[in-house]
Amino acid sequence: MTFTLRTKTILSGTAAIAAAALALAGCAAPPAAQAGFTGWDQVTAAAQGQTVRLWMYGGDKQGNSYVDNTLKPAAAKEGVTLERVPVADTKDAMNRVLTEVQAGTRDGAVDLVWVNGDNFGTGKQAGAWSCGWTSMLPNMTLTAASDPLLANDFGAPVEGCEAPWSKAQFTFAYNSATVTDPPKTLAGLLDWSRTHPGRFTYPAPPDFTGSVFTRQVLYSVSGGYANVPLGFERKAFDRLTPALFDTLTGLAPSLWREGKTYPKTSGELDALYAGGQVDFTMTYGPATLTKLVADGTYPAATKVLTLEEGTVGNASFLAIPSTSGHQAGAMVVANLALSPEQQAAKADPRVWGQFPVLDPAALSAAQRAMFEALPPSPVVPAYDVLSKNANPELAAAWVPELDDAWRRQILTGR
Amino acid sequence: MSSGRRLPPWLMAAPAVLMASFVVLGGLLTAAAQSLGLLPLAGSPSLTLEAYTTVAPDLPSAVGLSLAIASASTIAASAVGFMAALIIVQGRWCGRVVAAVSTLTIPFPHIVGAASVGLLLSDSGVLSRLTGAGEAWPQLVGGPWWFAVIADYSWKESAFIALVVTGALITRSTGYDETAALLGAGRLRRLRHVLLPLSLPALTVSATIVFVYTFGSYEVAWLLGRPSPEPLPVMALRVFSSASLTSRPEAAALAVVTAIVSFGAAFAAFALLRRIPLWR
Repeated sequence: MTFTLRTKTILSGTAAIAAAALALAGCAAPPAAQAGFTGWDQVTAAAQGQTVRLWMYGGDKQGNSYVDNTLKPAAAKEGVTLERVPVADTKDAMNRVLTEVQAGTRDGAVDLVWVNGDNFGTGKQAGAWSCGWTSMLPNMTLTAASDPLLANDFGAPVEGCEAPWSKAQFTFAYNSATVTDPPKTLAGLLDWSRTHPGRFTYPAPPDFTGSVFTRQVLYSVSGGYANVPLGFERKAFDRLTPALFDTLTGLAPSLWREGKTYPKTSGELDALYAGGQVDFTMTYGPATLTKLVADGTYPAATKVLTLEEGTVGNASFLAIPSTSGHQAGAMVVANLALSPEQQAAKADPRVWGQFPVLDPAALSAAQRAMFEALPPSPVVPAYDVLSKNANPELAAAWVPELDDAWRRQILTGR
Repeated sequence: MSSGRRLPPWLMAAPAVLMASFVVLGGLLTAAAQSLGLLPLAGSPSLTLEAYTTVAPDLPSAVGLSLAIASASTIAASAVGFMAALIIVQGRWCGRVVAAVSTLTIPFPHIVGAASVGLLLSDSGVLSRLTGAGEAWPQLVGGPWWFAVIADYSWKESAFIALVVTGALITRSTGYDETAALLGAGRLRRLRHVLLPLSLPALTVSATIVFVYTFGSYEVAWLLGRPSPEPLPVMALRVFSSASLTSRPEAAALAVVTAIVSFGAAFAAFALLRRIPLWR
C-alpha cells in the first residue's frame, strides 16, 4: 500500500515537473515589439523614475568609469537611474536576453545592451530587439543617414533596432623598442612574424579580436577587401578561405609557443604584450592604448601600426531588448549618449577616447568646437588617420563560419 | 506511543526530495528537450537527433580529456586529503595547523583559486618574473599537460576530502588504533588494517563527489587551460554562447552527455561502496 502510494506520488510529481518545465519553456518567442510611443514627449514622460540596466563589456576600465561618472549623472538629470551591469562578453548579455525571449518575459533584467555584429544579427533573427524606435530620438538628426557604418551592422540592416554609440577601428600596436623595422602592410606583418619566431600571436577565435584578425588576413590574402563579397556566400567561402588557412597554417610554427596553442582571449594577448613575451598586440578599441602606456602597463615605446591597405572599421550600438520593461528610460539614455556633449566627453582620450558617430556637418559651430578642443593622444593617431582606407566588416554570417573553420583547421588540425 | 503520530518517513523527506527533483529533473528535462530540437529559438519544434550527430565527432576527445583531468585531480586530491586527515586525527599541533589550513581553503570560490594560480604560474606570472626564467618557464598554465588545472582542483578538493575523512575517523579511530597498537601492530599495519578500512567509505563518497564536480566544472578548466582540445563543459559553454541560433541544442546535447557520464560515475561508486564491509 505504502509502496503504491509512494510510486504514485513520485509519478505525479515527475509529471507535474515535466509539465511545468514545458510550460515555462513553451511560451513562444514574441515578435519584436514596438514601444508604442507616438512622440518624444511621451517617451520622456514615461521614462521618469525608471531604472535602466545597461549590460556592457566590463573589461575596459575607462569605459566603465565614463558610464559611471559621466553618463550616469547626466541620465539622473533626465530622471532616469542608470545601472551598469558588467559582463565578460556581450554574448553573456545576449544569452540572458534570448533566455528571456524563450521564457516570454515582459520585464527582463536587461534594458540596454552595448552590441554590434553577430550578436546583433542573431538577436534580430530571434526577435530579441525592440525595433523602429531610433528615428524618434531627437539626436539621431545629428548623424548622417547615409553613413554606411551606421546603416548596416556587419551586413545586417540596422532598421531602427539599435542606436549608434561609437565608431571603432581595428588597430595593431607594437613595441618600437624591439621592432625596429615595423611592417607597413598586413602581409609585411606576417613576414615579420616568420623572421622573428615566437614574437607574434593572435587570440583564438571566437574571441572577438582574434576573429577580426582572421578577417583582416582573409582580406590580405584575397588581394584586398574588394575581392571578398561582404554578404556570406558558400561559394566565395570555399574559393577564398583555402588561401587564408594555408597562410595561417604556414605561419603557426613561427608564432608564440610554435602555434601549438593560442591566447584564449585578447586579454591574454595583452598580458603577453605587457610582459614583453610578444612584440605586437591588437585591439578593436585603440582608445585604451593611451592609458595603458601612460600608466606603464604597456612599454613606453608602444606605437600604433597603420597599414597601407587600411584596417577593418565598425560602429557599435545601444540596443533595447524586446523583453525590457523600461523601454522609455532606455530610449532616453540612448538619446543622451548620442548628444554632442556626451559624444565629446567620451571621445576625450583622458576619459575613454571612443570615436564619435556624429556627422560634423550636422553640428553647430559651438558643438564642433567641443570636438576640436579635445587633446590629441601621444600614442593613438586621430580617427581620420586611423580610419584611412578603412575596410568594411563582413556580414555577420561570415563570422561563425570563419571561426568554426579556424577551429577545425588551425587549432585542432595540428 | 509516538509511532502512531509520527509522519511516515517518505512524507518527512518529501519537501527536500521535491525541491531537489524539481531543480534536477526540471533542468535535465529542459536540457534533454532542447537537445532533441523540441525548444528551438527560431522555427517550429521537431524531434531530431541532429544536435547529437553534430557534436559527435568532437565527443571522444572532449570526454577523454575531461575524464583524464577529473581522474588525475581526484587521485591527487584523495591521496593528499587522506594524508592530511591522518595528520589532523593525530591531534598534535601540526594536526591543528593542517586542520586550520584545510578549513580556510574550503570557502574560497574555485574561480578565485584559479585566478590566483594563474597569476602565480602563468608565463607572465609572479613566479616566472621572480625567477627571471623568461622563455625557459615551463608551460604550466595553458600547457599540454593541464598542470595548473589539475593542481588547482587537487589543492581545493584535497581540503574537502581531508575534512570529510577526518569527520569519519575522529570519533572512532582512536579506540581501534590504540587496541591495535597494544596488540603490537606497527604504524604501517595500523594504517593498512585500521585507518584505511575505517576511512574507506568516507573516502569513496567524497572522492566521487570530487570526481563528478571536476568532471562537470567549467571555470578552472577554461581559465587555466588551453583552447584545444577542450574539456566537455568548456565546449558546452562555448557552443551555448556562440552567436548562432542552432548552437543551443548542441550545447544542451553536450550537457546531457556530461550528466550521463556523471551519473555513470556515481553508480559505479555506489556499486563499489556496496562491496565495502563497513558500508554494509
